[in-house]
Amino acid sequence: MISNVISLLIAIPLLGAVISFYAGTKAKFVALIASLIPLALSLQMYMEFDKTSKIMQFVESYNWVPSLGVKYTVGIDGIGFPLVLLSTIVSVLVIIYSWGETKKPNQYFALLLLNEVGVLGVFTSLDFFLFYIFWEIVLIPMFFLIGSWGGPRKDYAAVKFFIYTHVASLVMLLAIFALYFTYQMPDGSRTFDMLTLLAATADKTIFPTSMLNIIFAGLLLGFLVKMPAFPFHTWLPDAHVEAPTAGSVVLAALLLKMGGYGLFRIILPMLPHVDKAFVTIIAIIAVISIVYGAFMALAQKDIKKLVAYSSVSHMGFVTLGAVAFTWMSVTGAMFQQFSHGIITCVLFMSAGTIQHVVGTRVIADLGGLADRMPKFAVIMMAGFMASLGLPGMSGFVAEFMVLTGSFATLPVYTMIVVFLSIVTTAAYHLWALQKAMFGPILKKYMNVHEPHAYELFSMAMIIVLSLIFGLQPGLITDIMGTAATQVMEPVMTLTQMGVI
Amino acid sequence: MYADYAYLIVALPVLAFLLCLFVGWHLPRGGGFLTVLATFAGLILSLGIFSEIYPDKIIHQSMPWFANFNVGILIDPLALVMLLMVTFVVTLIHIYANGYMNGDPGAARYFAEAALFTASMLGLIFADNLLQLFIFWELVGLCSYLLIGFWYRKPSAAAAAKKAFLTTRVGDVLFLAGIILLYNNLANLNLALKPGEYLLQFPVIYANLAQIAPDQLTLIALGLLGGAVGKSGQFPLHVWLPDAMEGPTTVSAMIHAATMVTAGVYLVARMFPLFYAAPHGLTAVAAVGAFTALFAATMGLTSFDIKRVLAFSTVSQLGFMMAGLGVGAAVGTFAVGVSIFHLIGHSFFKALLFLCAGSVIHAVNTNDMREMGGVGKYMKWTMYTMLIGSLSLAGFPLFTGFFSKDEIIVIAYEYGTLINFLPYIFLVLAAVLTAIYTFRMWFSVFTGKERSDYGKHESPWVMLGPLVILAVFALGFGYVAQEDFYSYLDSNFKHYDLDFVELGVIGGHALEEHVAPAAEGEPVAAKGEHEAAAGEGEAGGEEGPGEPWYIQILPIIVAIGGILTAMLFYWDKVKKFDPSQVTGDKDPIRKLLLKGYYQHEIMTGWFAETVVYGTALICNTIDIKLVDGWLNWLSALVLGFAQHVRKVQTGIVQNYVTALVLGVVVLVVVITLAKEVGLV
Repeated sequence: MISNVISLLIAIPLLGAVISFYAGTKAKFVALIASLIPLALSLQMYMEFDKTSKIMQFVESYNWVPSLGVKYTVGIDGIGFPLVLLSTIVSVLVIIYSWGETKKPNQYFALLLLNEVGVLGVFTSLDFFLFYIFWEIVLIPMFFLIGSWGGPRKDYAAVKFFIYTHVASLVMLLAIFALYFTYQMPDGSRTFDMLTLLAATADKTIFPTSMLNIIFAGLLLGFLVKMPAFPFHTWLPDAHVEAPTAGSVVLAALLLKMGGYGLFRIILPMLPHVDKAFVTIIAIIAVISIVYGAFMALAQKDIKKLVAYSSVSHMGFVTLGAVAFTWMSVTGAMFQQFSHGIITCVLFMSAGTIQHVVGTRVIADLGGLADRMPKFAVIMMAGFMASLGLPGMSGFVAEFMVLTGSFATLPVYTMIVVFLSIVTTAAYHLWALQKAMFGPILKKYMNVHEPHAYELFSMAMIIVLSLIFGLQPGLITDIMGTAATQVMEPVMTLTQMGVI
Repeated sequence: MYADYAYLIVALPVLAFLLCLFVGWHLPRGGGFLTVLATFAGLILSLGIFSEIYPDKIIHQSMPWFANFNVGILIDPLALVMLLMVTFVVTLIHIYANGYMNGDPGAARYFAEAALFTASMLGLIFADNLLQLFIFWELVGLCSYLLIGFWYRKPSAAAAAKKAFLTTRVGDVLFLAGIILLYNNLANLNLALKPGEYLLQFPVIYANLAQIAPDQLTLIALGLLGGAVGKSGQFPLHVWLPDAMEGPTTVSAMIHAATMVTAGVYLVARMFPLFYAAPHGLTAVAAVGAFTALFAATMGLTSFDIKRVLAFSTVSQLGFMMAGLGVGAAVGTFAVGVSIFHLIGHSFFKALLFLCAGSVIHAVNTNDMREMGGVGKYMKWTMYTMLIGSLSLAGFPLFTGFFSKDEIIVIAYEYGTLINFLPYIFLVLAAVLTAIYTFRMWFSVFTGKERSDYGKHESPWVMLGPLVILAVFALGFGYVAQEDFYSYLDSNFKHYDLDFVELGVIGGHALEEHVAPAAEGEPVAAKGEHEAAAGEGEAGGEEGPGEPWYIQILPIIVAIGGILTAMLFYWDKVKKFDPSQVTGDKDPIRKLLLKGYYQHEIMTGWFAETVVYGTALICNTIDIKLVDGWLNWLSALVLGFAQHVRKVQTGIVQNYVTALVLGVVVLVVVITLAKEVGLV
């Protein structure tokens, strides 16, 4: 067992980012190594991880600013660890996918690594101060990825992305400060310790419901914008459309998961202590996100925008499962985070590959590409099938668990989702697939060829992963199940609380 | 011994799928022999299992999967006969496909997909729980999508594949809703499950059905029926099935006639106790089935595409099976045997008919019957095997279809005497039409003048061999197997902790005083509410005899009468009438039938393209104007404000310091106030 493994996990990509910045055209090799080591570390952690333990593991804690109660505390449990694993996997694959990047590759790969640093930090920090720092660090590489490597409207998209999520983060920061300034440790000092503060929110004498409601709303806004949930989602399609492929992949696969992570880590422990109306509000937001996202996807002309809206829809399942607050739904929602993180990669990579092989992403202009790129077509179709929830792949398991679990507490919402979104979801996926890949090959695309092997490789790996976790979900749901029990343990279920 | 290897029935085709997918390109005929071997091994295993467990044992294996779910294998009589049928018929079709797909550049892909299909269908059959069944159910749907769209360069094939997937998806959503509802109802019972028992396992579902509230049972039953309606092409979700003929003919035979579409019927049979217990559950099944049987038969009358005629026929015959299950309200579990017997018999003669049609199409290179005629001169084997298939489908005495379909009509009569005569009337009318459209097809293909210059040669033996074998079954299976089959399937639900009397009471099929004498093991004689009819329906629970002689003989008259009618119209030797004498080209009814009751216009044109896509466009407008609009409005406001605020940037240090101090003061005041109020 390696000591300080989490710090190492964060430090190595950071170091890698610095080196690749100065490595010029060799940057990709540096980046690959600097992302493979964390992957190996996280797999090692998976072996050592105690799946049945409900306490934090691999914890490290050092004083940082003692006078303010700021500490450097990191650790993981079943909520964070699957996302750590996801981050290390996706980072490697996205670097492989970007192997052919020629525009300022040193900066490009450095930013990708910096991104990994940010998300790993978010998923492991146990100190609100540290958490917030990492939360904000993530914005910077993404801002530059969109701003420097983006499409024609990159400036608009980058600024919109930055301001939108930053404003939400500030609201969240205020809420964190409110927690900080309200709670006093027994010895009179203040702390940013996440678990201590969250446990304290259960105490009505310290946090009266009226006050906790405001704090809760602030935190919630920060996370819902990041997810993103309706009606705070409009930054996402713009950011995706303009971002380079790798940026889109990281954005959808990892950055959005920060919002979901916040729900499980911070929102759910507080949920039983705030106004019961929040449950209804969040459930409605979740259902609208799912259904509305699916219909929006159906209306899109740009295949990348279609995929972007599918993220809105799929992330809605995370919100729904979380707020339904049954063991099954919460576990399913955590699994949806992981599963969507994997599957969305192949969708954005497909869109990116089509863009650079064919030169357009407008669905109506495509046609018959399967004829010229059969391997790509098979992989893309497998990805689309995974995304529309085909059993045998991870997405189905997650959605099934969320729906089954949610039905116990939110039957009506669940059924709306089932009836309206599942068919619509299948419709937009199949429609795009049919239009882009099937039918007779258009004359102008006769010279189109299969994409590079490294692109196919990273996409194929994702399909394999989706199959592995779809056929053997227990590999990771065991961990999540323990986490779900732990989240719900201190509190009663919604039914017991008299909400439903 | 064989039972220990039951999992190989699915595992081997999966292996064949992987092999064909990755190395099939380098093998002769795309590795088709792998798929044949894998399926044939499945047949051997199924036969081995049959020899081990017939007549009174079942196999149940299970292991945990994730969370509260398991994977398992359940082979009871119902599953076993399905396994035997599917492995047998599909093996023959795969052999045939080795000839049919020879030379197609996508042969490897074809055999990979066909192997995956085989695996999914077999997995669906022996699943021991509803979730696993659903998973394979969806995979079967995927394979169907892939195989219909096999010639993906053809826009019509790509469109048909999408339509099939989406239409069945509508049913699947209902199915999924049913599963979720059932799971939560069972979970609410707080059952004390033994180790190895899981909520969605069939034995657990059966054992606890009676504790679920009746209205919930009805909802669950309707959900499951929705799934079955989608997969088995019942009204109103049948629209995908005729279009599915865009795939290779072997696909049509394998998926859209013999096996996959039977999954819906199988589901209802598998969940029969639930339908039986659910008030109105079986009524819905009977209504859907009987209506579809007639409805589809009318469309079969007018189609000119030989495969579409057979497709409508499939829809109609599936309607018969559904109705057969539905009338189980009157005859209890006996209906399962009757319906599944028709399912098996149908898969023999329908596979035969499709393969014959494929043989014809392979030779003459067209699907259009108007361009055929007189083909019999050149394709004797195909003609006579198809004749056997057609006689069987039409229900000619002593052919398989006669025994199976006849029995459904008879029990529908019993249902009529007890509950409602409508299903019976629909089914009899459908049977007449079946005989007519079948022989309209046969006569116009094989007899008469050659209506175009087509290829004139018989198909190779790799294709004819399966035809002959299937013809033997289409001819003799019904006569040989009927009695044993009924008694074997009747024993199916005795393996479980089930009390049909109690379930019948919940479902409102039987009054308690009438039920008491019904001996254990006898199909429950349900007397229904129609006391007046009770005398006539005395024989409700017994098999076969007991109906008046004219009821017994009616199906024979119907079949022969239908064949004769078709003869008079379409056989040149005895032709008395011309079809145009009955219906002209401008006849509105004919037009309606040719247009398929305008379902395409309604479902695709109006519903999918106008309602659903329209909703999407409205959402899009809202998103741009409103949800994103306020943001842009805000930013414009801020920019405008900034124009004024910019004047603050004077460059004079004193101003900045003043602002700074003011800011600090404001902050201090705010914090103090907050403390006073108690916010911080």
